[in-house]
Amino acid sequence: MNLDATGGSVLALLGENGAGKSTLVKILAGDYEADAGSIEIAGATHRSLDPVAARRQGIRMIFQELAAAPDLSVAENVMLGQLPSRRGFVSWRAVRSAAAKMLSELGVDLDLAAPVSSLRVAERQVVEIARALLGEARCLILDEPTAALSYLEVERLFAFLQRLRERGVAIIYITHRLDEVARVADRVHVLRDGASVLEGPAGAYGRAELVSAMVGKALGEVQRPAPREHTPATTLLRFEQAACQGAFANLDLEVGDGEVVGLYGRIGSGTAEVAEAAFGVRRLTSGRLEARAGGLGLHGPAQAIQAGIGFLPADRQRDGAFMIRSVAENLSAPSWSRLAAARLFIWSESEAAAYARWHDVLRIRSRNNPKQTIGTLSGGNQQKVLLGRWLESRSRVLVLVEPTRGVDVGARIEIYGSIRRLSEEGVGVLVVTSDHEEVVQLVDRAVVMSRGKITARLDGDEITVERLASAAEGLA
Amino acid sequence: MTDRDRGFSGLLRRLPEASALIVFLIAETIFFSVKSEFFLAWDNWLNILTAISVIGIIAAPGTLLLTAGQFDLSVGSVTAFTAVIMANLALSHDTSLAVAVAVAAAIGVGVINGFLVTVVGVNALITTLGTLAAFRGLSEVIAKGQTVGVEGFETLGTARPVWNIPVPVFVLIAVLIVVWVLMRYTVYGRAMYAIGSNPFAARLVGVRSRRFVFIGFVLSAAACALGGLVLTSQLSVGSPLFGTGMELSVITAIVLGGASLSGGRGSVVGTAVGLMIIGILNNGLTLTGVDPFWQNVARGALLIGAVSFDRLRARIGE
Repeated sequence: MNLDATGGSVLALLGENGAGKSTLVKILAGDYEADAGSIEIAGATHRSLDPVAARRQGIRMIFQELAAAPDLSVAENVMLGQLPSRRGFVSWRAVRSAAAKMLSELGVDLDLAAPVSSLRVAERQVVEIARALLGEARCLILDEPTAALSYLEVERLFAFLQRLRERGVAIIYITHRLDEVARVADRVHVLRDGASVLEGPAGAYGRAELVSAMVGKALGEVQRPAPREHTPATTLLRFEQAACQGAFANLDLEVGDGEVVGLYGRIGSGTAEVAEAAFGVRRLTSGRLEARAGGLGLHGPAQAIQAGIGFLPADRQRDGAFMIRSVAENLSAPSWSRLAAARLFIWSESEAAAYARWHDVLRIRSRNNPKQTIGTLSGGNQQKVLLGRWLESRSRVLVLVEPTRGVDVGARIEIYGSIRRLSEEGVGVLVVTSDHEEVVQLVDRAVVMSRGKITARLDGDEITVERLASAAEGLA
Repeated sequence: MTDRDRGFSGLLRRLPEASALIVFLIAETIFFSVKSEFFLAWDNWLNILTAISVIGIIAAPGTLLLTAGQFDLSVGSVTAFTAVIMANLALSHDTSLAVAVAVAAAIGVGVINGFLVTVVGVNALITTLGTLAAFRGLSEVIAKGQTVGVEGFETLGTARPVWNIPVPVFVLIAVLIVVWVLMRYTVYGRAMYAIGSNPFAARLVGVRSRRFVFIGFVLSAAACALGGLVLTSQLSVGSPLFGTGMELSVITAIVLGGASLSGGRGSVVGTAVGLMIIGILNNGLTLTGVDPFWQNVARGALLIGAVSFDRLRARIGE
């Protein structure tokens, strides 16, 4: 396995989950040791690096999960780990001036005294980058930096990477979003099963080539699902002139039986809040929400589940899974009362039976042992278990938020297949996503939001990446 | 069997969580039975079980709380509070009335703990640290600092219905079984594990977390009431000093039994083994003539040793 990063250029590193991207860059950053081979930095050869040595050599890494100290100020966070001091006492004036200098070089304007917890995600990322660039940074590694950024923030990040490139920094950019490769990278490098399978100038390869290199088989371009003759007979979920203070307003949205509706918008457009309101996590400040049998409004998730609604949260680890509990428990959690005898006593056999019912239907790749801890499964398979939750609880409406975030291409297609099959059986699905390819590949009709308002309703062949993108920017 | 499962570290990883403790329990038993000829006698086993009965009655619902990620540090004070109210009321009123009022008062403390943690949202550690101090003080106030004798209430603590086994041991076993069933075979128990392993996710699968945690605190207080009555009956007195420092023993037993301090893991069977380890250690040290002051040192070292071993095992497992 060989990898070259040249100063003043951006190298995009692609691959499915588990292809070896993270291991590779962690060897560079000194977290792991290579079994064989060497690392050459500016002419000097190293057998292995530890984190301190990697830092001294000018290698900096920005992790997916931002690791700032949230209660400390912006200035302290920028200078963290190398606070200027005199005789053991921190010189606060030097801290502020050095941090201010760094941030202005990067062309950003942040309040130095503000605690980092008060910043938006993109601003926190800038703080991380500023810290990383202190001293002699030769090589900057970014691991999926745009996963949590809004459209404008992504633009700002790209402009910012451009400036770093001009300063002669070598940038290694790990991403799942293929549309970003052409935008930002000079060269591209694809990994599969720990081996390098494609390498070359970024402009030379199209999307289809990159995908087939990643998964090892041709999956082709983004395609619409086969059109289906189906008119919903009943409305399962309906928002009428609904509003939620500071998130969305004047919202009319309905999901009927047997249809997959996409709610598309950039992060911060209000789509996430609509999803939460549909599941009773968030209360409407005005308007109506009707769930199933004409019931008005929802007070909390427990009621939503009783009304036949299932909910897949965007952040699987934080809001979805019980990571240290078994797959069977994770899958049967919302159905416990129904599985229990006299709504009270539950046997692990009935949980295991529930798991067995959905294991093959959802093509969960596991040891098929209901006692296996869910944390030991890959992201895609965890997501399948969490989807199984709502099949077991016989939900009539599914609200799926970012159902394939952090899921590799193969598992993604299986999840799409499951969702389509469910809708054919009469389940109404609302897919809330910020991934336009997901909308194109999955939904029957799409509703696009921008800044808390619906900007477009698209049907059938109108659903294209271009239409979605322009509507999401509020251009309708 | 994969490569990872072979060899010594593989063996360690495949052991069930409680087995290391059981090995320790057996080693401890063998050690003291060699050191003291009285150790293995039936009467000595009854001494050990009687000595851990009150702590065990309280540790059982404590295990349930800890799997939901919650603590109850006020257990010792609630025990004393119950005993003092019972003893003082029994001076002038019917015993059954005194018992009823004392139990109701203890459950009232559980309601306060539960209310502060689930409705007001105060951290459980802080809440129960506060009630620990307040109700120890209130017990002193009610008893005016005095130990009060109780007559005609000996049966619960001292009767020995079969094989010379005292009633508190039966009470302990009954409480352990009830909580075991609760944790293993009820929706409530499942929900408590879920709350402890991920409170956000628990809410999103429809678990009514606040209600369930509230019930957990009430159950803990009810167990303290039972423990307080057993102590009062055993000693024929109610004292405001009952259960001083008991929270340490209770938490030691639970954590020795494999419960995670951050919630989501734990079992009553583990706690029962943890209780036995503590009981045998205290008893064995007494029998072999070790200065009682050393017993606290031994218990502290045991707690740290057991948890360190567990951490090492987890790291090998990674």
